[in-house]
Amino acid sequence: MSPDQDELDDEIRGHMAISIKQRIERGEDPEAARLAALKEFGNVTLTRDSMRAVWRPHWIENAEALWHDVRVALRSLRRVKGLAATVVVTLALGIGANAAIFSVVRAVLLRPLVNRDEDRLIYIRQLAPAIGAENMTWSVPEIDDFKSRITSVSAFGDFSTVDFAMVGLGGEPRMVKAGVVGGSFFDVMGLRPVLGRLLNARDDGPHAPGAAVLTYRFWTKSLNSDPSVVGKTVRLGPRTATVVGVLEPAVPYPADTEIIANVVTSPHHLGATMVTSRVHRMTELFGRLAPGASVESARAELTAAHAAMIREHPEAYSPKANVQLTVTKLRDQIAAPARTILLVLLAAAGVVFIIACSNVANLILARSVRREGELAVRAALGAGTGALRRTLLAESLVLCGAGAVLGMLLARPLIAIVAQYAARFSVRALDVSVDTTVLWVGAGLAMAAAVLLAYVPRLPSPHAPAGLGLATGGVRITPGTNRRLRVFATMQIACSFVLLAGAGMLLATLVALQSAKTGFNVRQVLAFDIPAPVIGVDDGKVLNFYQEVTRRVGALPGVDAVAVGSNVPWRDAGGPLGGGGFQFAAEGYQQADGEASPRARMRMVGSGFFDVLGVPIVAGRDFTDDDRGGREPVSIVSQSIAQRLFPNGDAVNRHITWTDPVFSLYGKPIPRRVVGVVADVDDESVVPGAPLTIYQPVRQMGLAGRLFVRTAGDPYAVVPSVTRVVRELSADQPVERAATLEDIRAEVMSPERVNAFVFSGFAGIALLIAVVGVAGVLAFSVSARTREFGIRLAVGSAPRHLLGRVLSEGVGIATIGIVAGAAGGYALTFLAGRLFAHVQLPGALTVIVSAAVLITAAVVASFMPAARASRIDVLQALRSE
Amino acid sequence: MAKQPADQRLELLQGTLDMLILRTLQWGPQHGHGIGQAIRAQSDDLLKVETGSLYPALHRLVKRGWLKAEWGISEANQRAKFYRLTAAGKAQLLRERDRWSQLVTAIGRIMNPAPASKE
Repeated sequence: MSPDQDELDDEIRGHMAISIKQRIERGEDPEAARLAALKEFGNVTLTRDSMRAVWRPHWIENAEALWHDVRVALRSLRRVKGLAATVVVTLALGIGANAAIFSVVRAVLLRPLVNRDEDRLIYIRQLAPAIGAENMTWSVPEIDDFKSRITSVSAFGDFSTVDFAMVGLGGEPRMVKAGVVGGSFFDVMGLRPVLGRLLNARDDGPHAPGAAVLTYRFWTKSLNSDPSVVGKTVRLGPRTATVVGVLEPAVPYPADTEIIANVVTSPHHLGATMVTSRVHRMTELFGRLAPGASVESARAELTAAHAAMIREHPEAYSPKANVQLTVTKLRDQIAAPARTILLVLLAAAGVVFIIACSNVANLILARSVRREGELAVRAALGAGTGALRRTLLAESLVLCGAGAVLGMLLARPLIAIVAQYAARFSVRALDVSVDTTVLWVGAGLAMAAAVLLAYVPRLPSPHAPAGLGLATGGVRITPGTNRRLRVFATMQIACSFVLLAGAGMLLATLVALQSAKTGFNVRQVLAFDIPAPVIGVDDGKVLNFYQEVTRRVGALPGVDAVAVGSNVPWRDAGGPLGGGGFQFAAEGYQQADGEASPRARMRMVGSGFFDVLGVPIVAGRDFTDDDRGGREPVSIVSQSIAQRLFPNGDAVNRHITWTDPVFSLYGKPIPRRVVGVVADVDDESVVPGAPLTIYQPVRQMGLAGRLFVRTAGDPYAVVPSVTRVVRELSADQPVERAATLEDIRAEVMSPERVNAFVFSGFAGIALLIAVVGVAGVLAFSVSARTREFGIRLAVGSAPRHLLGRVLSEGVGIATIGIVAGAAGGYALTFLAGRLFAHVQLPGALTVIVSAAVLITAAVVASFMPAARASRIDVLQALRSE
Repeated sequence: MAKQPADQRLELLQGTLDMLILRTLQWGPQHGHGIGQAIRAQSDDLLKVETGSLYPALHRLVKRGWLKAEWGISEANQRAKFYRLTAAGKAQLLRERDRWSQLVTAIGRIMNPAPASKE
C-alpha cells in the first residue's frame, strides 16, 4: 500500500517530464523549460518527505512528539533538581521494595519444583491438634497399612531424619543430619542424580550393603564438587556406607540433610520397635498420585483408610488427641509456612508504593499548579488536550523511569535480605535469584505510576477564561487543588499509621520476649553437643565416658561447674523428647472424669545440672552420682507438677509413673520416687511458661549428649580446651555447637527479630515519605498564600498566630489521617482475620505511641513552612501579585 | 488566458485543497501535473497549487480511500501516476460541497448583510 522511495521519485520525475514537455510545446527553449519546471516545482526533497510522511503510521509521529517532550522535560526538570530528586528517591524506594518482595514471592510460592511431574506429588501428614502436635509423623505399621489399602496413590516414599556421627569425607568427625529412606523414595519424588545413582529397591532390607547419596548443597559446599567421591566409604555411627551418587539440586524437604542413606545404615530402623510399634512414629510420608487420581480423591481414600486404622487399633490413638490426617501437594506444603508472612510483606510493600505514589502525586500536582501559567499559554496557542497531557506524561515518564532504574539497583541487595529472611520459613527461598521478573515488575510499576501521575494535574480548561493566569503568570491556587493536595497527604498519613502500628506491635512482642525472665543463668553457661556414639544403648562405657568428661572439664581453669543433660534449652526444642510430652500418673492424684492424663516433658540430667544452669531447688535434693543404674529409681519434678498434682505442693518422697503407651514396649512402667522439686523453667518456648517437667538422672537412663559448662570469665574462652579434653578421651568424638544460652535464645528468636526489623524498615520509609509529603503540602500552601499572610500581618496579626495556624493545619492533616488509618487498619484486620488464622490487633499503647509519633512528625514537618509564614515581609508580600 | 500578477493570486483556504482535488477528478482520472493545471485554469489563474502541497494531499486522499492511484501513460506519452475518484471519494465530495456552500452563505451574510436588517 505505502509507496516506496523509488515510486515517489518516479512520480515527481513524471511530473517534471510533463511540465517540461508542455513548455517546449509552447515554444520555450529546452534548457529554459527545464529550469522553469524545476523552479515551479520548488523543493523536491521537502515535497518527497512530506509525501512519505503521509504514509507513516500514526504512532511514530506520537512517539517522535513524545521524545521531543521527554527532552523538554529533562531540561525543565534540571531547573527543579530538589523536587526531581525527591520524586525519584521516593519512587525508587516504593519500586525497589515491591520488586524485591515480589521476586521472593514468585520464587517461593509460584515457581514449580524440579521434581518430575511435581503437581502429582503429595505430602501426607498425621497430626493431633488437640494435644498441640502439629506433625506426629508416621510409624512403619501405619505406612504398611496405607501401602496395602490405598489405590489412588501409586507409590509411597518415606523419609526419617537421624543424627549420625560421621567419620570420613575429610574434616573432623562430626554430627550430621541424615535422611534415612526406603528404596521407593527417590522414584516417588521424581529426582535424578547428577553423579552416580540414587537409592532404589535393591538398597532396601536388612541385608543390603550400606549406601548413601550426598545432597547437592553438601557436595558443592563441603566437598568442592569432587567427582571422585562416588565409591568412597563413610562411617555413620557404628555402620559404614558407600557413597553411590549425588542428588540433583532440589528443595530439601522435609529436612535439609547432608546425606540420605538406606535403612541398613541405621540400626534403629532395623530394630523391632521401629518395625512393629504402631506408636513409634518418626517417618514422613510422601506419595505419587496414581493415574486418574486427584488430590481430592486421594485425600478421601486416605482419610477413610486412616479412620479405619484408628478403629482397628484404638490403643495407638488416644481419643483425646483427636488424631487426623492432611493431604497437600508437596509444593504447597513447602511454601505454606512462608505464605502468610510473604503475603503480609507484599501488602506492606504495596502500602509503601501507594504512599510513595501519593507523595509523588502531591509534588507533581504542586509543580503543575506553578506551571498553570505555562500550560495556559500553550493551550491558548492551540495545543490540544492530548499534547498537554503528553507533556505531563513525558515529565512523569522521565521521573518514574529514573525512579525505576534506581529502584532496580535497590532491589538487588533487598532481595538478598528478604530471601534470607524468608528462608527461615521455607527452604525454597534459599535459591532465590535476581532475574528478569524484577525488571518487568519494576518497569510495570513505573509505567503505572507515570500514567497515574500524568492524570493527576488538572489541565487548563479551554472553555474557562484563562485571563488572570495568563496575565500575571503567577501562582494561583484554587480550592480544588488545595483539597487534592490535602487528600493525598492525609492518605499518606493513614497508610503510614497502619504500617507504624503493625511495626509497633511486632516490636512490642520482641521487647516482651527479650525482657522475659527465663529462669536460667543465660550469660555464663555454655552448651555443647557431645553426642554419644550410639544413641539409646544403655552402656556403662558411655556413662563412664560422660563421667570422665565432666570430671576433666570441671578441672579446667576458668570453669566454675559442669554437668551433663539431654536437652539444650530452646535449641533442642521440638526434638525427640520435645512436643506435647508423655502421659504420666502422680501418686495420690485422681483424674476427674473425662480429664486427660497429665503430660510432662522428660529430661535427663546429671548431678549438678540445676546448679550449673542456675535453676533453684525449692525442696528436697539434687541428683547425686549414687543415683545410678541398679539403685532406687528417682526423679525431680518441676514446681508446677508439685503444686498441681500433690496436696500442698508436697511432692518429695511421693512417686510418679510414666504411663504413656510409647513406653509400653520397654516393659511394665516403674514408679520413681520424687527426691526434689525445682523452679519452673521452659526449655522449649522462648515465651516462658510453667511446663510440667520430670527430670531423671542420666546415670539411670543412659541418655545425655549435651554438656553444660558454667564459666567465671568469657564463656567462649574455654571452648578450645573443652574440645581438647574430650578428644583426648575419644579421638572420634564430635564436639559441636558451643554457644552460651543467651546466644542460643537470640538465635531462636531471630525470626521475631527480623520480622520486627523488616516491618520497622517499611514503617520508617513510610514515615519518612509522609513527613516529606506533609511538609511539601504546607510549604506549597504557605508560598501560595504569601499575599494572604502579608495582609494578615499588615492588619495586626501576630507572627506567632500565623505560626500556630500553619502548625495546626499540619496537625489537622495528621489527625484526620490517623483516624482514617485506624478505621482502614481495623477493616483490614477484619478482612485478614477471615483469610489467616492468627491475626491480632495491636495493643492500645502501640496505637497511642504510633499516633504520637505521627503527630510529632507532622509538627516537625510543618515547622519550617510555618516559620516561613511568620517571617513574611509585609511589603513584599503585598506587592507579590 | 490572461495571467494574473503573482500578488493577486489567492492563498488557498485551509482544508479546501482536498475538495478542489476531488472536484477536479470528477471529470475523470488525471495525473498530479494535470490536476494542478486544471485547478489553476478553472480559477482563471487565481489559485495556484504548490506541488509541495498537492502531492502530499494526493497521497493523504489515497490513504483515506477517497482516491485510487495507478500508473499509466500521459497524453504527452510520459509514464505518470493517475488518480481516480473512488465511490467513497464521490460521497466525500458531496459532503464537502454542502459544507462549503453553507460556509459561503454564512460568510456572505456577515459580509453583505441584507438591507432589511439595517437600522
